[in-house]
Amino acid sequence: MTTQLWALAVAGTVVLAAAGLEAFRSARARRLAAGATGAPAAEPYILYFTGESCTVCRTHQEPALAKLEGVRVEKVDALAERELAERFHVYTLPTTVVMSADGRALQVNYGYAPATKLDRQLAAARSSLTLEQTATA
Amino acid sequence: MALTTVDHSALKVNQTGIVATVLVAFIGSYFYRPLLVLIPLLAIVLLLGTFAPRLALFKQLYFQVLKPRGIVKPRPVQDRPEPHNFAQGLGGVFLAISSVLLLPVPVLGLALALLVAVLAFVNLAFGYCLGCQIYYQLGKARVIRA
Repeated sequence: MTTQLWALAVAGTVVLAAAGLEAFRSARARRLAAGATGAPAAEPYILYFTGESCTVCRTHQEPALAKLEGVRVEKVDALAERELAERFHVYTLPTTVVMSADGRALQVNYGYAPATKLDRQLAAARSSLTLEQTATA
Repeated sequence: MALTTVDHSALKVNQTGIVATVLVAFIGSYFYRPLLVLIPLLAIVLLLGTFAPRLALFKQLYFQVLKPRGIVKPRPVQDRPEPHNFAQGLGGVFLAISSVLLLPVPVLGLALALLVAVLAFVNLAFGYCLGCQIYYQLGKARVIRA
């Protein structure tokens, strides 16, 4: 095999290993953050962790959040509010957390989350809220 | 630190330049080995551009040629240039290591250069900047003021 092919194999292996490591890290952080609590609200809302150095936040995440109508988005500077960021195991920016009305983390998205995904997660959060209300009534 | 206007088209041209140069060096060296010299040259271009933006070859190509002639349209975004400069510097450092490795272990040297190109491509195509994430992690660990 030529040098070029070996180099391609090495680079490919590193990329696959890095992707696997990232998937593991994200799953672990998601597991640890599940059930973390924040402030309660009248309806499910989004905790949006961002920072000044985050370009994707401005170019992708914020336009996606703007598409969600009637949803409260609480913007948090991850470096300024370290304690809150640690609680949700924020290791990358942007991170969006779909919070239930009683302040529990229902879904955590590490990295850019498109509007359709957030919409789906919010709908699930609202329907679980409706189910709980029906059960208690 | 305050936000300023960063022309993202300049960043895209820079990333395109990195990907194209590494690809030419990688594929071209199969037929004509001296083309590998493009990798240390690219390392120099990136490192110079990090410390002296006036010397950033691909960005200057954008600002002096592509933008004035309307070939690439500007895309100003409220942003901070530091994470992008950091990412570019990191790419330069990795290419410098790759250049050192090219003579004794060409496979590793080429693999490292390819990884830099892959990361530049991911940034170009998907907007994911690994160097910027490392910049955030360093800020979080209070190593730098991010």
